[in-house]
Amino acid sequence: MLRLVARRARAQWPLLAALLAVAVVGPTLLGICALLLTRTAEQALETAASRTTSDQIDVTAYTVTVRGEDARSVADDTRAVLTSALAPFATTTAARASSVMRSFPDAGAPAVAYLSGVEDLPARTQLAEGRLPRAGAVPAESVVLESTARRLGLKAGSRVRLGRELTDDPDEGIEVRVTGIVRALPGTGWERDPLAATGHDPAYRDGRSAQPVHAYGPFIVDLADLLGGGSVLDRLEITAHPDLSAPDVRDLDTVTQAVLGADRRLGRTLGDRVRIQRVASLLPSTLLAGHEQQRVTTAAVLAVAAIGLVLTATALALAGRLSAGVRGDETVLLSALGVGRGQLAGAALIEAGVLAVLATAVAIPASSALHAGLTQLPPMDGAGLATPFAVNAAQVLSVAGGALALAAVLVVPSLRTPAAGVRGRRELLARSGADLLLVALAAVGWWQLRDQPAGSGSPIDAVRVLAPALLLIAGSAVTLRLVWPALRGVERLAVRARGFMVPLAAFEAARRPQAVAAGLLIGLGCAAATYGIGFDATWQRSQQDQADLAVGTDLALTLTAPPAAGQGGRVGAAVGGEVSPATDRGVAVGQWLGGAGDPPRLIAMDTTRAEALLRGRLNDGRTWNDVGAALAPPERAAGVPVPAGAALSLVGKATGGTPLTVTPRLLLQDVTGLRTPCTGAPIPLDGKAHRLPDCATAEGLRLVAVSLPFAIATGNVGTGYSNFLDELPAGDSRVAVTLTVAGTGTGTGTETGAGTGTEAGAETDAGTGAGRGSAEPSWTATSAGPSPGQLGRPAVALTGTSAGTALKMTTTVALKGPPDAARTLVATAFPAPGPVPVAVSARFAAEAGARRGSQLDLTVGLARVQVGVAEVLPAVPSAPNAAAVLADFDVLSRALAVSGDFDVPVDAWWVGRPVRADVADLRLGGVTTRASETARLTGGPLRAGLPAVLRLLVPAAVLLMLAGIVLHVTFDLRARAVEVARLRGLGMTRREIRTVLLGQHVGILLPLLAAGAVVGALATRLVAPLLVRADTGAAPVPEVLPVWPWAAEAVLLVGLLAGCALAVSAVVVVQARRADAAYLRVAS
Amino acid sequence: MTGGNGGPLVSVRGVHRRFGSGATAVHALRDVTFDLAPGTMTALVGRSGSGKTTLLNVIGGLDRPDSGTVLVDGTDVTSLDEDGLSLLRREKVSYVFQTFGLIPVLSAAENVGAPLRLARVPAAERERRVALLLELVGLADHAEQVPGELSGGQQQRVAIARALAASPRLLIADEPTGQLDAETGLSVMALLRGVVESEGVTALVSTHDPTMLALADRVIRINDGHLDQDPGQRSDGQVDQPSGTRSHGRLDSDGRGDS
Repeated sequence: MLRLVARRARAQWPLLAALLAVAVVGPTLLGICALLLTRTAEQALETAASRTTSDQIDVTAYTVTVRGEDARSVADDTRAVLTSALAPFATTTAARASSVMRSFPDAGAPAVAYLSGVEDLPARTQLAEGRLPRAGAVPAESVVLESTARRLGLKAGSRVRLGRELTDDPDEGIEVRVTGIVRALPGTGWERDPLAATGHDPAYRDGRSAQPVHAYGPFIVDLADLLGGGSVLDRLEITAHPDLSAPDVRDLDTVTQAVLGADRRLGRTLGDRVRIQRVASLLPSTLLAGHEQQRVTTAAVLAVAAIGLVLTATALALAGRLSAGVRGDETVLLSALGVGRGQLAGAALIEAGVLAVLATAVAIPASSALHAGLTQLPPMDGAGLATPFAVNAAQVLSVAGGALALAAVLVVPSLRTPAAGVRGRRELLARSGADLLLVALAAVGWWQLRDQPAGSGSPIDAVRVLAPALLLIAGSAVTLRLVWPALRGVERLAVRARGFMVPLAAFEAARRPQAVAAGLLIGLGCAAATYGIGFDATWQRSQQDQADLAVGTDLALTLTAPPAAGQGGRVGAAVGGEVSPATDRGVAVGQWLGGAGDPPRLIAMDTTRAEALLRGRLNDGRTWNDVGAALAPPERAAGVPVPAGAALSLVGKATGGTPLTVTPRLLLQDVTGLRTPCTGAPIPLDGKAHRLPDCATAEGLRLVAVSLPFAIATGNVGTGYSNFLDELPAGDSRVAVTLTVAGTGTGTGTETGAGTGTEAGAETDAGTGAGRGSAEPSWTATSAGPSPGQLGRPAVALTGTSAGTALKMTTTVALKGPPDAARTLVATAFPAPGPVPVAVSARFAAEAGARRGSQLDLTVGLARVQVGVAEVLPAVPSAPNAAAVLADFDVLSRALAVSGDFDVPVDAWWVGRPVRADVADLRLGGVTTRASETARLTGGPLRAGLPAVLRLLVPAAVLLMLAGIVLHVTFDLRARAVEVARLRGLGMTRREIRTVLLGQHVGILLPLLAAGAVVGALATRLVAPLLVRADTGAAPVPEVLPVWPWAAEAVLLVGLLAGCALAVSAVVVVQARRADAAYLRVAS
Repeated sequence: MTGGNGGPLVSVRGVHRRFGSGATAVHALRDVTFDLAPGTMTALVGRSGSGKTTLLNVIGGLDRPDSGTVLVDGTDVTSLDEDGLSLLRREKVSYVFQTFGLIPVLSAAENVGAPLRLARVPAAERERRVALLLELVGLADHAEQVPGELSGGQQQRVAIARALAASPRLLIADEPTGQLDAETGLSVMALLRGVVESEGVTALVSTHDPTMLALADRVIRINDGHLDQDPGQRSDGQVDQPSGTRSHGRLDSDGRGDS
């Protein structure tokens, strides 16, 4: 039998070569996929890890309240725990510590101060004067921030005495010598300084006193001095940064688990030496997210591999059937000579086995070479995934397994013995059953895909992997059934033709027993190729949509520290375009805090410029302008202009014998709409003018609100930490406070009141009415919660004088009640906004049970804000997967201001239509653009495999399809050579014969290609949106829209048709040339 | 009935045809010369491999001789190009093959109508003629059946009807009864004899079957590429005198060819 196989192989080597060529494609594709899923996947994880930013992988341990004698050991042990958790990666650590507040008697007013120690100080500060402190000096050396130095009149060489620690067991104070003055560099962790590196807080509250006090600091000493100096540490933070420049995926997994357990380990290690300890890091979630992304990519790669295998199996089934047909006579002869079915099967198995071995031998290097080539092309090379030629075990196993499985497909047709009648009918029945089974499986697959969980973390399941292949093959099988009736229709039309060529071509196409495998391969190949392009376009579009919605705007600058007034102007100068402050933070909705770790989010920005600022797809033809119009305030707040450097002063008087103080807070709005508070020191209402320094810090500021929290001067002003009064006050005190902004007043003003009374009518101050889209200035006074009854008849009057604009606020302060009860008058340049109109995401609406018109209470920070649902959106920009609320920044800040909360939350700058993106130099925080997010989603190391493998599917499908066509046409024409010769005998010229043959094959190809394109389009429409997942593995937001790229598909189809026609033409021409008398010499 | 110039319809002169070259060359035809008179039925007999089919193919323009000339109805077949040969086969020469040569996807009527479609005969005329021909071969009731549904004899009848469809001057039949049983073969030959007489067509029929020779007007014997012509016999007792000087067909005394 071996000899027979060998001899037959020698005689039929072209046939076997063709079979081998087809058999190589599938295993090669499998080999590439195996390499993508193993070698490239590991490399992708490692590359992604090496590209992470510090904030994604740093591990920070926070410890709170550390006794002085324990400080050094706590620091050392904490470093050890972190370093151990990040082993085997090399780790660098950086520590920062702050002492508890100490009294600061030398400040001249009730004040506190604190010490800090910061490692790597030269990288975090810029020395303005003097030098950095040295360790071990006596007294301890220190540097201070410029603002601290300015307020305290410090310079290099100054000595400062810090008082006792404000603890239960205070020490005796400490003296430091100032050796230099520094500026804090943004983006270097100063946002976690107790005073956020402002250097001074004139109204510091830490809960120890009823009244705010001045706070100064940090006095930055050498960290070792601080740790060994015996000071109680209020907070100690140590950040460990692992070196992931050359990570190993197994080490990453080890570190992930270790960091997850580091918190408990630190707690066990530190014991009661600290009051609170916590380890925080995004490293585990970053690495786990990487695995999730990889799982999504893996599922897609496997789905493509499944399609490729199905295609190859179909091609091989066709090839096997054709070769069996060619060998039919031989098989009959061998059977007649007494060769049994077993022996025939043995020969077929030997031949298939040899083919499988050869296919494996060819496919392994081919897949390695193609994989290496693929990784050199976009997007994989851009993702850092370029790899050299390589072979691994998984690839070899996949290739060999695939080749063997495909060889089995080849064997089956060769085992059949030619027969007709009953078996033919049985085959038809089986085929119909197979079609029905395929359709049923495809329907189940689609149903499962449709009902797959929307969340992340779902494992790779067979349905998701096989569903596309099932749908494509079922669709192709069903449409194949429709092709033949269509050809019959063509035949009926052709019969009326007068000539012979057209009818004969039509008759041949319609009546000749069709090779189902060939039709299926052509339809399936076309469907797979068109689907590959459609899915790629759909995936790309979805990633872009997701990026648009995730960023929410064109450029988002996420701030690491609250912005200062005028910062928006710097951002605008750097990038151009429309700049708006933006809020993006978690809120509570009534008692609802959202899911675990997934609180409802509040997004606020300037909705009057919604179209320019907001990005993300909206449904129902709505535009962001439409949404913005429903949220925006009716008019801009005018406020009082505060020129840069303008002198602000405040004078207040109070009736009665109880001394009162006020700690004024001003709310200033800059040109970008940013509203920042400026807080003054506590001021006695003594009839004297007091300056409010450091408020007019930028050009274009406008005063839009003033908060006057009145307090009873309790007599504790010397210490700041005693709340005892000898005698509780009683009665009322009528107070009048006038805030004057120098150099801005030119006329008269208005006086209005709210709450319990109004004092006067309105007058207009033209000098304060300027501003884009602003209304006439109209100030409103109110008594802010939570005890509005503590103030009576609040009123405000705006007057313009030659000295400036004066804002006179009057009220009656009820002195009864707790001394620390809130007695806050708030004057605003706008009326109370009422419920803030908001647009909520569909998820928010579903989970909170909200709908248009609903009114809800949001807790923003510590303030409660009533909102009214004006719109329900599919998703809110920048919070695509969240239960989110979109509000206008202006209206939100108005609502907060009216409630006395001037700390308007600002978390980012949003820029619409920027002309540049070089905002990183400002070092204000992380920058994200739609383009960068799209690039991350489509070309990141963990994502690039998917578009790459999709682009592999298209040529593979085309290649297999063309190979199948050539095989089919070749075998068909060989089998019909005598018939072709007879046509010549009838008097047809070779040209006419070629025309008939071409017409016949193209007549079959056209509807098959059309059917394939229809199946590809349907699969793109029905399946592609269900297969696209977000990088988290969850269902993408916004909803995926199927994309059918007409131009690319048209090019593909034209190319396919041309390729098919070319392939068929080549075979037909050769066959027509051979169809001479030689085939007619059958009787000689 | 005569040829184009009143002479023989087919005139073969000094035809040589060789396959291969060198020592392994096979001389299929060696200096073959003969004429066929119009309206006659000539039987070509010889053993397998004697060159019968090659001679038929050369006359029908399916093959080209290495030398010599073949005139069919005054047309020099050997000088025609491919298109000319196709035109010749379409208008003047028809074939009947041993394996019937029907196109399997076409019905009997469509097979018969194929030459008429090639000649772009109007549909009505085509249908009329197809019906007549099927009637002639006795298959009027099988017009819509495809070859696979017909018996061998019926298929050969369809093939004959198709060969006659375009009213050829010469009908070449290569072993038309080779795949038929004796009775069916005889009926097919009788049919050929009949259409020669009724249609006035000239028929050149190769056959192994000596019983068929009786129906021929003339018998030409070919042996190893040489034509060994015998005066043969006609139904009317006359003998066609072959024009060839060296190749003469010959019938046995009992009228049986020695193929």
